[in-house]
Amino acid sequence: MPGRFLPPLILLLAGSLSLACCQYLIYFYAPAEATMGLVQKIFYIHLPLAWWSLFSFFLVFLGSVAYLLKRAPGADRLCAAAAEAGVLLSGLALLTGMLWARKSWGVWWTWDPRLTATLVMWFIYAGYLLLRGLGLPPRRKRLVCAVAGVVAFLDVPLVFVSARIWRSIHPSVLGAQGGGLEPEMKVTVSACVVAFGLFWAGLVWLRKCQLDLRARMRGSVD
Amino acid sequence: MLRMTLAVLRKDMTLTLLRSSGLAQALLLGLLLVFVFSLSQGAGESLSARNAAAVFWLSSAFCQVLIFNQLYALEETNDSRLGLILCPAPIQAVWLGKAIAGVALLLLAQCVFLPATVVFLGQDLAGPLRPALAILFLTDTGMCALGSLLGALAQGQTTRESLLGVVLFPLLTPLLLAGTGIGAQAFGDADPDGPGAWLGLAAAFDAIFLAAGLLLFAFLYGGEE
Repeated sequence: MPGRFLPPLILLLAGSLSLACCQYLIYFYAPAEATMGLVQKIFYIHLPLAWWSLFSFFLVFLGSVAYLLKRAPGADRLCAAAAEAGVLLSGLALLTGMLWARKSWGVWWTWDPRLTATLVMWFIYAGYLLLRGLGLPPRRKRLVCAVAGVVAFLDVPLVFVSARIWRSIHPSVLGAQGGGLEPEMKVTVSACVVAFGLFWAGLVWLRKCQLDLRARMRGSVD
Repeated sequence: MLRMTLAVLRKDMTLTLLRSSGLAQALLLGLLLVFVFSLSQGAGESLSARNAAAVFWLSSAFCQVLIFNQLYALEETNDSRLGLILCPAPIQAVWLGKAIAGVALLLLAQCVFLPATVVFLGQDLAGPLRPALAILFLTDTGMCALGSLLGALAQGQTTRESLLGVVLFPLLTPLLLAGTGIGAQAFGDADPDGPGAWLGLAAAFDAIFLAAGLLLFAFLYGGEE
C-alpha cells in the first residue's frame, strides 16, 4: 500500500518545484503592472487557484455521476478528495482576491458578482463537506453525497450567469482581446496555471490514497 | 403517476393544514424576519425597494425550509415511508406531490409576507405587476423543486433544519437574486434592462432542477440504505 503513495508524492514534489520556479517568472520575468505595481503579482497566484478550484468541483460532479451509475466507493472517495481541495483552493482564491480588491478598489470586499459567485460556490461545497461528515450509514452517505455533488455542480453555471446579470467590476483577464496582458505576463500566468495543476493533481491523488487506505483499514476492522 | 402525485398532494395538504402547528411555525418565522428587518429603519424612513424585496425572499426561503422539513417528517412517524415506496407508481410521484404541496403552502405564506413587507418595510407596489407575478411563480417552482429533492436528503437527520438550510440556501442564490431583482422593480425600483434576463434565468433554473429532481429523487427515496 505505501507504494501507492509514491506517484502522487512525486507529482506533488514536481508541482512544488514548478511553483518555486514560477516565483522567478513572477518577480523577475513578468513586468510590474503600471498602476498596481507589486500587488498585481497576486494575480499569478489568484487565477490558478480559482481555475483549479473550479476544476475540482467539476471532478466532484464527474465522480458523483460515476458513483450513481456504478456504485463504486472509489468514485465517492475521489469526490471527497476533490471537494476538500476545491474548498481549500477557492477559499485561498477568495483571500487573495480580497488582497487584490483592497489595493485595486480600496475595500477588502465588494459585492462584485464574480466575487459573490465564488463565495456562493464556496458555501455550496462547504455544505457538501458538512454532508460528508454526517453520521449516516456508509452506503446511504455515499448516495446522498453523490446526489448533492450533481446538484451542486448543476447550480454553478446558474450562479455565474446570475452574477453576470448583476453587473461586474471584476477585471476580464483573458478576454477576446487578451485583457490587456503583456506577452511576458501571459507566459508567466500560463506557467503558474500548469505548476498549480501539477500540485493540485498530486494533492487530490494523495488525499484519495489516504481515504482508500482509511476505508481499507476500517473494512479490515469491521 | 398523476393519480399518485395528487394523492400525495392531498394527503400532505390535509395533514399540514389540519394540524394546529401546521403552517403556523413557518409563517411566524417569516413574519418575524420581516419585522426584525423593519427595526433597522429610523423613524419616518423606509427600506430601499431592493432591500425590501431581499427580505421578502429571505422570509420565503426560511419558510420553505420549515415547510419541506415538515412535509418529509410526515412519513417518519410509523415508518410510513415504506408504504409510499411500495405503492405501485413511480417514486417520482412522491417528489412531485410534495413539491406541489410545497408551492401551495409557500404561496399561502407569501400571501401574508407580501402585505407584511408593504406595511412594515414601507413599500408600495408601484412597479409592473405582471413580471412580478411571473417571477413569484417561477421562483416558488424552482425553490420547491429543489426543496423537495433536498428535503428527502435531510430526512431522518436530527439536525435536519440547519442541515437543509446550509445545503439549500447557497444553491438557491440565483433564484433569490432573480426574485430580488424583479421584486425591487415591483416595489418601484427602475431597471433599464427590464425583467427579461431574470425571468429567463429563473425559467432555466426551474427546467434544470425539475429535470434533476425527476432523475435523482429515486436515488434518495428509493429505500436503498
